[in-house]
Amino acid sequence: MIELHHVTKIFNKGNANEFCAVDDVSLVIDPLVITVLKGPSGSGKTTVLSIIGAMTKPTEGRVYIHSREITSLPERFLTEIRRKTFGFIFQQFNLIKGITALENIMIPAYPTGEKYSFLKKRAMDLLDLLSLSGKATSKIEWLSGGEAQRVAIARALINNPEVVIADEPTAHLDTRLSREFIEVMAVLKNEGRTILIASHDPIIYSSPVVQRVVELRDGRAISEDHRS
Amino acid sequence: MVKRKSDIFLGYVVVNMFVLALLLAHVFVEQRKASTHLAHGIRMVNDLQLTDLSLFTDARYTRHPSMADLNTAFQDHPLSLEHFPSGTLIAPPRHLRRNGLD
Amino acid sequence: MVWIEKQRNILDFALSSLFRRWGKNLALIIVYTIIVFVLASIFFLTHSIKKEATIVLQGSPEIVVQRIVAGRHDLVPEGHSDQLRKIPGVLEVKGRLWGYYFDPATGANYTMVVTDASREKNGTITIGAGVARVAGVQKEDTIPFKSSGGTYTTLEVADIFPHQSELISSDLIEISEEDFRKLFSIPNGSYTDLTLRVRNKNELNVVADKIKRYLPDTRPILREEILRTYEAIFDWRGGLLVVILTGAILAFAIFAWDKASSLSFEEKKEIGILKAVGWETSEVIIMKSWEGITVSLTSFLLGIMCAYVHVFFGSFFLFTPVLKGWSVLYPHFKLIPFVDPYQVSALFFLTVAPYTAATIIPSWRAATIEPDSVMRL
Repeated sequence: MIELHHVTKIFNKGNANEFCAVDDVSLVIDPLVITVLKGPSGSGKTTVLSIIGAMTKPTEGRVYIHSREITSLPERFLTEIRRKTFGFIFQQFNLIKGITALENIMIPAYPTGEKYSFLKKRAMDLLDLLSLSGKATSKIEWLSGGEAQRVAIARALINNPEVVIADEPTAHLDTRLSREFIEVMAVLKNEGRTILIASHDPIIYSSPVVQRVVELRDGRAISEDHRS
Repeated sequence: MVKRKSDIFLGYVVVNMFVLALLLAHVFVEQRKASTHLAHGIRMVNDLQLTDLSLFTDARYTRHPSMADLNTAFQDHPLSLEHFPSGTLIAPPRHLRRNGLD
Repeated sequence: MVWIEKQRNILDFALSSLFRRWGKNLALIIVYTIIVFVLASIFFLTHSIKKEATIVLQGSPEIVVQRIVAGRHDLVPEGHSDQLRKIPGVLEVKGRLWGYYFDPATGANYTMVVTDASREKNGTITIGAGVARVAGVQKEDTIPFKSSGGTYTTLEVADIFPHQSELISSDLIEISEEDFRKLFSIPNGSYTDLTLRVRNKNELNVVADKIKRYLPDTRPILREEILRTYEAIFDWRGGLLVVILTGAILAFAIFAWDKASSLSFEEKKEIGILKAVGWETSEVIIMKSWEGITVSLTSFLLGIMCAYVHVFFGSFFLFTPVLKGWSVLYPHFKLIPFVDPYQVSALFFLTVAPYTAATIIPSWRAATIEPDSVMRL
């Protein structure tokens, strides 16, 4: 459902610090599957996720979502796609400090003009799902790493996205929480979503629930591994 | 149940607008009530043949700005700085600048 | 409906944002409110006094004729009124007797005036409420006055002008013609100035020109000029007001500049996060506008309300020292509320628009960056 055709991303093009993060990558992400992008840091995983999630445009190449080309769309449409299709879980979580977990979760849905009470209920349900109801009104700063990550997951799910993208989700988590994370992803996949994870953590890419691993190095896709 | 922040703010705005409306009503009511007072004032000014309000009684030209002559407004020196506080509130009347040079 | 819900949602977030730095924002609102309060109080006070003056002084003489000798006021001699009566269109010429009496005991200046009512009443005076206060006298008390010859004349207070008329009569002493002339050694037939009534109001300027021709040593002052004097009091060009207005504008400018000149790292990051989770650039801008509007609108509404209460219910007590100046005698009066909608709207725009714009401008750039950069922070 998501296709990358010869995608290249060069940062600071034309300047002295020109840097090619992604070099001629062609990739197909299958629906309803957990795919992991594996590789060391600097291999271009984050950039690929960024391009897939319509957060940046490739320097060369095209991206298709449901056979619809998105690379040449204006920013407004990209935002809509980002909002409706994808749910992002950032490596640093990127939650907004100083406000509650509940509000953090609701933020991506504010501009949709949905009625506040419905929104709130959905957010509470998500917190329930992730066993975090007690922390709904806590400020983000007071949450532990694992709790913060679950809030980040809930936030990614508030707009009911088809695709969940996670960038190095276990970088700040211990083994137990890392295993918990991949289990949550499995649940989401079974609900009918497509999961895409970038990680160099063996707990993730060696997990039995992962169906596909794409290896990246120096901005290139060097191997693919399909498991059933 | 904590009220939603935007509701609180919008509520505040509504209350304020309401109070402002009341104050506006106050303006109209007071102006209506004052019409007799003002009519008396006009008659008194007429009877006593007055030309100025008794607002600033510190100096001649502040007490009767409409009657002031050019010299007193500048207190004998054209660049003399204002030394009566009320003088800083009143500019020399326009007709001065015209007539004084006749 | 959806649009309203969307705005309410975004407003919620904007308020959360403000609340996070509540100390700073509270201080901002307080200072802003004070500025609005001072400016609005000045507007309400000055506009009301001006309005009352221009209404009440419509009873002033149509033309006042002053005699100028060596650039200064001098008494109008006998023959002048006869000359003026010859001017076609002049209905009536009356001599006015008025002047200032300085009371060394109190340090106050009184305005003494001879009127039709008091002209014949030798030995008695009617005084203004301010005079009564300063001199500490009541009806039937007497006040000694020192004449220019050095002798003292005692006059009895027959009546006191009503309190409601203080703005007009506070410092007046209504005296008889004989007493006035004796006090100030003004010879019979001489007057302080002359007042005229004309048949045709449209002819006032023509008559004024004729006056200047018939009596070249005089200066006619028309009623419209008297009124215009009072339209110009508290003029923004006048000393104190310029200082205050400039100060206020500078303060607004400083706030706006402070807001506009920089976005903290955290604020930039937040905008990036919003973009990353799917907020459009326009929605980020709307959010920032709400931030600006909330602060400035709150201050404006609060400031205006407090100013109104201060001026019309609280007798503008904060400004009385300024209005009083060095006067010993000061009228106690209650203001009739007159509000100039232009002033209020100008203040509204000055308060809300620049600040809101200043909140939006730095965010604009941050809002248009690609969300990708957020991933890398």
